[in-house]
Amino acid sequence: MLLLALIPLWRHTVRAYARAFTWQSLTLAGLTALTAYFSGDAELYAVAALLLGLKVVVIPRLLARMDRRFGSEIQPYLNATTSVLTAGVLVLFAYIVAEPLLLASRLPTRGGIPLALGLIFVSLLIIVSRKRALTQVIGFLMLENGIALLAVLAAYGVPLVVEIGVFMDALMGFLVMQIFVYQIHETFESLDVEQLSRLKD
Amino acid sequence: MIFLWLLSPPLAAALAGLALPVRPARLVNVVLALVPAGAAVVLWQRALAGVPTVWPAGAFLRADALSTILALCIAFVGALVAWFGPGAGREDGYQPAQIRRFTALSNVFTFTMLGAVVVNNVGVMWVAIEATTIVSALLIPLVMSKASVEASWKYIVICSVGIALAFVGTVLAYFDFVNLAGPLGGALNWTVLLAAAPRLHADVIRLAFVFLLIGYGTKAGLSPMHTWLPDAHAEAPAPLSAMMSGTLLAVALYAIARWKMVVDAAGQEAFANGLLLTIGLLTVAIATFSLVLQRSFKRMLAYSSIEHTGLTCLGLALGPLGIFAALLHLVNHSVAKSTAFVLAGRVQHRYHTTEFTRVTGLLATMPQTAAAFAAGLVALLGLPPFGLFVSELALFRAGFATGHPWATGVVLTLVVIAFVSILGHLAGMLYGPPSEGVSHGEPDRWMLLPVLIPVAILLVLGLSLPSSLSGLLARGVEVFGR
Repeated sequence: MLLLALIPLWRHTVRAYARAFTWQSLTLAGLTALTAYFSGDAELYAVAALLLGLKVVVIPRLLARMDRRFGSEIQPYLNATTSVLTAGVLVLFAYIVAEPLLLASRLPTRGGIPLALGLIFVSLLIIVSRKRALTQVIGFLMLENGIALLAVLAAYGVPLVVEIGVFMDALMGFLVMQIFVYQIHETFESLDVEQLSRLKD
Repeated sequence: MIFLWLLSPPLAAALAGLALPVRPARLVNVVLALVPAGAAVVLWQRALAGVPTVWPAGAFLRADALSTILALCIAFVGALVAWFGPGAGREDGYQPAQIRRFTALSNVFTFTMLGAVVVNNVGVMWVAIEATTIVSALLIPLVMSKASVEASWKYIVICSVGIALAFVGTVLAYFDFVNLAGPLGGALNWTVLLAAAPRLHADVIRLAFVFLLIGYGTKAGLSPMHTWLPDAHAEAPAPLSAMMSGTLLAVALYAIARWKMVVDAAGQEAFANGLLLTIGLLTVAIATFSLVLQRSFKRMLAYSSIEHTGLTCLGLALGPLGIFAALLHLVNHSVAKSTAFVLAGRVQHRYHTTEFTRVTGLLATMPQTAAAFAAGLVALLGLPPFGLFVSELALFRAGFATGHPWATGVVLTLVVIAFVSILGHLAGMLYGPPSEGVSHGEPDRWMLLPVLIPVAILLVLGLSLPSSLSGLLARGVEVFGR
């Protein structure tokens, strides 16, 4: 999953990003189902199914539709080499930060915790270094994948009530961001985030 | 049962806003907005007795003194905005469709905020706070323009990232709890977390708190994550800014306060206090220096909100005395800031601008509004006889009492600097020859009458704190486990 997050740092088209996201979500759903199998927790199967439906089917379809309207990314703030190097540093940082967590956990899945944290940090990097509104949204979706991964690996997921609420929020948030991407396009005639800097002190 | 009276009126009002034509919808909205306020007062009585209201037996909803304080603020601001929102005066210039959208969404917004402060489950609280971001983001561009779209995009991206980080913190805390006690059903309830806190791993809880502070701090407007706030609060329609500055920041601080309680119980109080102190100081400093440079009064009010959030955050770090001051400050600020924004909206509609250089002679053109606006700003400055003076004084006392003389001195200086710059801007707006092309007089000044209520509240809070309120605040401090 972490490797898939590196793709947006290096490719430039929205379609590549969306495809990376779809594969990432698929992997997440698979991992969740696997954890459900090994831990015998039936609720996790439901979570995996929700993930599959929402993030592998619905959202990528919406992303594809938006991509057809708006076209591809322009040069981001950091070039590919710097981005991948920074990502490497962030993953190392995640390993350091996650040390106490590894010590505290007794779950067999705990080895993946630093990677989940690394994914979270790399997604933050994506959001910060992209220039197009749509790619920032995809970065945000990857961030959510990272958090879900952390939840599954560290604690076999959170209680179902919370999980459903989180999904609803994620879906609503995505839809609202979609609305905004359209609004930005209408008022600014472009999705270049650099244009969104009129408001200064 | 009481929760029904607290939570369902906003939803009903939202539906009414969509279904009914504008005039009856407004009436329904105002009436329904008073119901949660009444419910909050009932909760107040129960909280004074020290008994948290719980429903149902499994304790999904739980309102202790801290929740009640927040619920009172939210209900009050909701009622204020219901009265002064779009559709109130004749000068608004809002289309019926916009008014309808505002009524519906602002009520859903109130519902999510009330929900966030009365649920017992940390995860559901997170869901509610995320929902507040989404709903308020939809309302910011009520009048679509490049500026408002930009502001709301920044808002939703920065706050969603922040909230996601807060969720990471939540997951980390849950993870530690699960390691100790296994995946219990009620594991994400406050009461359960608080009870188990002493056994949680120190390192993990510290890491979790860092994520939580950064995450919820983004929503609260703490630096350095505050960059979305001036834009969002300035570009949003004034009644929405009133709700956001008055209560949304408070709800985010509430979340931080709740988690601080867990961290304190886990024995990491010094760590938490240190972090809160640093971030609070940084916030007040950045806000004060930005205030000096402002050219627009809505942005000025927004930066003032950041300053006050920073002050409240500081209070949380200064022991029981500080927490009392912080809670009092929260209440005072909610009342004062929401009133100020609502009146700023009226000024904006008359003058068609928010820049200081183009707004002069307010006392001549809108005498009643000007008087109320001046009162609101004077209150925000922390001058007696208004309430913020008392809470800021209490904050400084707490600072000196807990052995932070230098930090308190710095904050005092910053507050004075902010005072001078706001006062200067206010004087420029009130006096002088009226701007050109601006009509004089207030045709609907009776609409303004309810604004006397918050002014009266601020006066009462400043002159003599009623014992029922100080009792409630004291119970709130008790919740922190002292």
